[in-house]
Amino acid sequence: MSAFSSTVALFSKDVRSELRTRYALNALLMFVVTAVATILFALRSDVPSPTVLSGMYWVVVFFTAMSSLSRIFVSEEERGTTMTLQLVASPSTVYFGKLFFNTALTVSLTLAVTVLYTLVFSEFFIIRTASIFFVTVFLGSLGFASAATILAAIVAKANTRGTLYPVLSFPILIVLLMTVMNATARALEGEAFSEAMGDFQILVGYILAMTGGSYMLFDYVWKD
Amino acid sequence: MKFVKYGSLGIISIVVLAGLGIPLSPSPQGWLEFPIIPGLEDKARNLFFHVPMAWTSVLAFLVSTYFGFRYLRTKEIDYDLKSVSAAGLGLLFCILATVTGALWARFNWGSFWNWDPRQTSIFILLLIYGAYFALRSAIESEEKRASLSAVYSIIGGLTAPFFIFVMPRMMAGLHPGAKGDPSGKGPLFEAKMLAPNMRVLFYLSLIGFTLLFIWMLQMRIRTARLDYESSLEQS
Amino acid sequence: MEEFLSVNQMYIVLGIVLLIWIGLASYLLRLDKKLQELEKRINKGGHS
Repeated sequence: MSAFSSTVALFSKDVRSELRTRYALNALLMFVVTAVATILFALRSDVPSPTVLSGMYWVVVFFTAMSSLSRIFVSEEERGTTMTLQLVASPSTVYFGKLFFNTALTVSLTLAVTVLYTLVFSEFFIIRTASIFFVTVFLGSLGFASAATILAAIVAKANTRGTLYPVLSFPILIVLLMTVMNATARALEGEAFSEAMGDFQILVGYILAMTGGSYMLFDYVWKD
Repeated sequence: MKFVKYGSLGIISIVVLAGLGIPLSPSPQGWLEFPIIPGLEDKARNLFFHVPMAWTSVLAFLVSTYFGFRYLRTKEIDYDLKSVSAAGLGLLFCILATVTGALWARFNWGSFWNWDPRQTSIFILLLIYGAYFALRSAIESEEKRASLSAVYSIIGGLTAPFFIFVMPRMMAGLHPGAKGDPSGKGPLFEAKMLAPNMRVLFYLSLIGFTLLFIWMLQMRIRTARLDYESSLEQS
Repeated sequence: MEEFLSVNQMYIVLGIVLLIWIGLASYLLRLDKKLQELEKRINKGGHS
C-alpha cells in the first residue's frame, strides 16, 4: 500500500469508528450549544461589537476543540490499539491520518458554531465579507488541528487525561487565536478581501511550521 | 570557566556602579554623565537591569530547546539534565523580567499591565515555561519525560517567530523605541536618543548577565548530575 | 555625608543594590565551592 492510501485508510477507519459511536460528535455539539447559551445569558440584551463576537466565536471553538481533539490518541491508548497501529503503520502515516481526522472534526465544529451563531445572533453576526470569513475558518481549523494533533500525541503518551491538554495548547495556539480573531473581525466589519492577506500569510506560515515540525518530531513521541 | 565566573561578577558590578551611579545631566559632557531622556529620566536606568532579564529568559529557552533537540538525537540523559536546568533558570529570569517590567510600567505607563507586544510575548513565554514544567511533573518515566518535554519545547519554539509578525497587527507598542510609543519619545535606539555611554553600558550589561546565566547554568547542571547519580546509586 | 545623600538620592539606591548584589554574588561563589567539594567526594566514592 502506498503511503497516501494507507493514510486514507487510517482516516476512514477513524471516521467509521466515530460514526459508529458518535461519541466525539455528540459531545462536541452539546459543548457548542452549552457555550453559546452561556454567552447568550451573559449578554442579555446588550449589542455585541464585531470584535467581541469574533472573539467569542473563537473562544467557543478553542474550548470545544480542547475537549475533543485530545481524544484522538487517548482513544487508541484506551482501546489498547496503540501497539497494533505502531506495527502496521509508519509514524508519518499515523500522523497524517490523525491530522486529517482532527481537521475534519474542527471544520465540522466551526460549521456548527457558525450555523448556531447566525441563528441566535441573527441581528449582529452578519458575515459581510464571506470570502475572508470562510478562508479564515478553513485555515483556522487546519491550524488548530495541526498544533492539536502533536499535542494530543504528547498528552496521550504522558498518561494524563484531559487536564494537561488546555495548559499545553494555549501558549502554542495563542498566535493562531489572535490572528483568526483579527481576520474574523475584518469579515464581520465588511473589509475588502485584500485587507486580510497579511493574516492569511501568517496562518499559512503557522500551518506549515506546525505540520512540518510535527512531522519531524512525531517519531520521537510515537515510538516509545 | 574562571572567566565566566569572575567575568560575570566583575561586569555586573561595573554595570550596577555605573548604571546607578552616573548622574543625569541636561547637557551631558563626556562619558561620566547620562543625558536626561524626557519622560523617562531616572527610569531610563531600568534599561541596564530589566532588559537583560528578558534577554536571558529568551536565551535560556533557546538553550533548553537546543539541548532538548540533542537529547532526541542521542537519547543521552545528560542532555535532558542540561535542558531542564536551562529551562529552570529561564523561568526564574522570565519571572524577574515580568515583575520588573510591570513595576516599571506602573510608573511609566500608569498601570502594571498594558498588553504591549513585548509584555504579551513575555507572558506567553511564561506560559510556555509553566506548561513545560507542568508536562514534566505529570510524567513518571524518565525517558518519556525527557523526550516529550523536548518535543514540546521545540513546538513552542516554532511559534515564536510568528509573534514578531502578529503582535504589531494586534496592539500598539508602548516600549521606548517601539513604533507606537505614545509619548513621541521615538526610537530609543536611534543614535541620537541613546547616548554612546548608555549604549556601551547596555551591551556590557547584556554580556554580564549572559555570563552570569552560563555560570549559574553550569552549577545547576552539576547539581542535577549529582542528584541523578545519587538517585541511581540508591535504586 | 547625610546632606549629600539627601540631595543625591540615587546613591542610596546604588548602595542598596550593591549590597544585594554582593550578597547574591558571594552566595553563588560559596555554592560553587560547595559543589566542587561534593563532586570530589561523590566521584571518589563512586569510582573506588
